[in-house]
Amino acid sequence: MDIELNDAELVLQIGAGGGREAEAELFRRMAPRVRLYGLRHLRDEYAAEDLAQQVLITTIEALRAGRLREPEKLASFVLGACRMTVLDLRRGVQRKERLLEQYGADMLAPVQPSSPRLDQEQLTRCMQGLKERERTVVVMTFYDEQTGADVARLLGVSEANVRVIRHRAIHQLRACMGVAA
Amino acid sequence: MKCAAPIDAALLGDYWLGALAGPEEEAVELHLFDCDDCGRRLREVVALAEGVRKIAREGSLRMVVGDVFLERVAAEGLRVRQYAPPAGGGVECTVTAEDDFLIGRLAADTRGAKRVDLCICDARGVEQMRLADIPVSEAGEVVYQESMTFAKASPSMKMIARLVGFDDAGVERVLGEYTFNHTRSLPGPGAW
Repeated sequence: MDIELNDAELVLQIGAGGGREAEAELFRRMAPRVRLYGLRHLRDEYAAEDLAQQVLITTIEALRAGRLREPEKLASFVLGACRMTVLDLRRGVQRKERLLEQYGADMLAPVQPSSPRLDQEQLTRCMQGLKERERTVVVMTFYDEQTGADVARLLGVSEANVRVIRHRAIHQLRACMGVAA
Repeated sequence: MKCAAPIDAALLGDYWLGALAGPEEEAVELHLFDCDDCGRRLREVVALAEGVRKIAREGSLRMVVGDVFLERVAAEGLRVRQYAPPAGGGVECTVTAEDDFLIGRLAADTRGAKRVDLCICDARGVEQMRLADIPVSEAGEVVYQESMTFAKASPSMKMIARLVGFDDAGVERVLGEYTFNHTRSLPGPGAW
């Protein structure tokens, strides 16, 4: 099929009974985005994968039934489905098995995102090259995912300053690792 | 496709950390659902964060940390060895194969110091390395993490940590010296 279809065209094609190819294209296009959302909110790769499967099945279900009235708003629709599903997951609602039974597992094979691989030795050198406060902020931030108060207290600066230091350090590390700022 | 309005990597870092206000987070999320270019950049930031986490867990960086950090590594089951020599004094110390982090707690009166540096010196007190403008806790304590990679490779030796402060006029003064008499307890002679 034509993979250059925009989102709205894809929605219309699925709604018109475009078949599994159109649905597979939707899955290919949206799964990495949903998975990233899942990683951010669930902090677990497997949970993110489950989220991608549940959300995309829900989406296909809706598109087949013509429930997306504004086809150009596919991204908003999928994001909304992500938010609702994460809420459901947090409430302990598990619908995956039923959905798998209904739609089959073949279409739902995981699409692995291309995670960038880092040269850890180079990153260690880059970390050691940061200023002391930048290094402390980066480690406390990414090791313990602290963004504000504790780091600010240790450094004796405001939380806004911690953010400025963190931003500067991220840019420096990316530059040192050879990726664009 | 190249993004016409790319989101800055540091802002994506804030998003990843959950540090954005609601409306800002919603705008970033909507953009990410429509833009694989920024999604790729976010993955790079996530990989960077994971890389930093891994390095932090190895205890291989020389740096100043906080108690919250040490509480977290202890909660992960990592082993922290700590020494707290008095200012002007020393301590006998070592590391074992089971240790994951090596910490020196350096207490000093830092009142009046606009900036504090930590100098790592050899046995004669000659400065070998300086960590400039380090964080000092409210209680006037510096929690220094020595590189575990370095410490485990080290032969028996003496190391002096010197805290120096700078006043408003930029005049440097010694706040405290702390001697670490390291005895190698790991097999082999040790060498860098």
